[in-house]
Amino acid sequence: MTEAVISVKPKKTGTTLHKLRTREQITGYLFVLPALIVILVFGLFPIGYSIYMSLFNWRVTKGAYVGGKNYLLIFGNWTNLLITLAGIALIVGAFWIWNNAFKSLSKGQTIAKVVAAVIMILGGVIFITGWGYMYDSGNQNFLNSLIVTLYYALGTVPAEVILGMILAFLLYQDIIGKDIFRMIYFLPYVTPSVTSAVVFQIIFSLRETSIANMIIGWFGISPQKWRFEPKPLLNLLGLDLSGFLAGPSLALISIMIYGIWSFVGYNTVIFLAGLGNIPKETYEAAEIDGATRSQQFRFITMPLLSPTTFYLVLIGFIGTFKAFNHIYVLRTPSAGDSVITTSLLIFDNFYKANQYGIATAQAIVLFVVILGLTLAQNKLIGERVFYG
Amino acid sequence: MDSPVVNPQPVVKVTRARRSRFYWLGRILTYVILIFGAIIFIFPFFWMISSSLMTLGETITRVLVPKVPQWVNYVDAWNQAKFSKYFMNSVLITLGTLAGLLITSILAGYAFGRIDFKGKNILFGLFLATMMIPESVTLIPNYLLIRGSIFPIPGGTWLNKYWSLTVPFIANAFSIFLLRQFFAQIPKELWDAARIDGADHLRFLVQVVLPISKAPIMTVLLFGFTGSWNAFQWPLLVTTNDTWRPIMVGLWSFVNEAGPQTHLLMAGAVISLIPILIIYFLTQKQFTQGIATTGLKG
Repeated sequence: MTEAVISVKPKKTGTTLHKLRTREQITGYLFVLPALIVILVFGLFPIGYSIYMSLFNWRVTKGAYVGGKNYLLIFGNWTNLLITLAGIALIVGAFWIWNNAFKSLSKGQTIAKVVAAVIMILGGVIFITGWGYMYDSGNQNFLNSLIVTLYYALGTVPAEVILGMILAFLLYQDIIGKDIFRMIYFLPYVTPSVTSAVVFQIIFSLRETSIANMIIGWFGISPQKWRFEPKPLLNLLGLDLSGFLAGPSLALISIMIYGIWSFVGYNTVIFLAGLGNIPKETYEAAEIDGATRSQQFRFITMPLLSPTTFYLVLIGFIGTFKAFNHIYVLRTPSAGDSVITTSLLIFDNFYKANQYGIATAQAIVLFVVILGLTLAQNKLIGERVFYG
Repeated sequence: MDSPVVNPQPVVKVTRARRSRFYWLGRILTYVILIFGAIIFIFPFFWMISSSLMTLGETITRVLVPKVPQWVNYVDAWNQAKFSKYFMNSVLITLGTLAGLLITSILAGYAFGRIDFKGKNILFGLFLATMMIPESVTLIPNYLLIRGSIFPIPGGTWLNKYWSLTVPFIANAFSIFLLRQFFAQIPKELWDAARIDGADHLRFLVQVVLPISKAPIMTVLLFGFTGSWNAFQWPLLVTTNDTWRPIMVGLWSFVNEAGPQTHLLMAGAVISLIPILIIYFLTQKQFTQGIATTGLKG
């Protein structure tokens, strides 16, 4: 074979080689072309066009150019936004100081922590002040939707990760019917979200005979309105809190329960894969050194599993900010704003209110928020992750 | 465990006895939790099937199983509630999308993995960037696009047309990425040998690469299938009548249009789930692994 190549080579003069290369180039472009057209038209072009639309008073058809007004409607005025961003910047700075500053000094760590704590509190106060200003003069619906989304994320992601981890640990032993368990756990995730959400519509209905009311009935709790209940759960329990501290409404909690149910299996499967990647020799070596089971867990399993955990937290967080289908199916008019996450609000502004310009501006702000959260998580948690 | 070691012999016995007692306790607890979890995960499915076989009266009372299974519900849901129409729409939409997706992603995956051309890396980076953009951002311009409001498109408008439900999805960065990773690993010697035999890229792709790439292509098909079958937000936007309404939108609109006919709704839900279940059970291992290594939903 080598001989053949050698004997062929001299025949390829400069021009033919050049021709061959050009042909190679053309083949490459031709192969990419079909995908390129589709992705260009439906994936890349809309990003630019979205930004363009957000600068106009666009209601079904294009209206007058309004510059940043659609964005301004969200924040009230630019000063509010700047104050809020300054608060966030200070909090980020505090994290940096906590981890990195004063390392050359003796007792540098203590100094850094004190300074960081002070800046952190300052940043928090400034952030809350800025947010308050925005709330007073900006678009309350949009800001509310961010809080609802945050509730939703905080109420589902940690629970999903922890439950997924527990189930994965239990399954990672010699278990009879291991594959069947895994298959069952994964089933909710595989199920189309509209299908399962329609079933949860019935489970969480306000009928006294609904499954949800039947289950709380076993514990002697009177029937609730579930998906139709705009009141925060804490208020229903008798705690008289208001504002952010009041927490999510019972309607949102119903949706959270659905979210956890449908997502735990995914985390379980990923954790199982992560556990499978930890070499058995590490445990054997630790056992020889006399490490107990809990020490092995603390010093081997947890650190080696941290990339998986990080990945799942990140995916989970981004997922909640993008979530649409099941919330759209499970929401009720009587739950009002208490279940409207940002992606739903944008859809409603576009689809129902025909506010195309405002909706695109909000979508771009949402995208920036997602990007910011991703970066923050990468920086803050990412640095603690042990990649072996 | 801190018992004073006066005589080592009994201590060993005690710990062994203890360990085994804890061991069995742990085993039992493990199974209790696992089974309890399984019941919670499986219950909504049980409930869905069970209420799909109830009479309308039974669905509003507190019974878990119907007295007499009403199989006729499925006939009613299929004909009267038009789930047959929605189902067939979804089948056709999914088939069209998959056909397009296969062609575009195999060709592009091959080009990015095995052909050198100018601007390849920039292009690939641009493709990947689209994976990070939330649907909220692209949704509105895409809607105007298929309505023909931005520039003229063949047919005037794609609203309520087959093309609006398939064409935007016949290529995605994820499938291309998946195939590129696999194609790039194929040894160069194979290509050299094929070239000596006079094969060009297309023939090499069809005759050599594709036969050994069944696994990644299968993964692309699985993802494409679930993505297309489960699609909701976009079809909701671009279908205003039954002509091309897919099953997920049909299921949702049934709730609003037909009122509280839980038994038919649940029968419809079961129908919408069947194709996914069949594929899941047939390709279980690959399905789970494919998702575990790549991640499916956001």
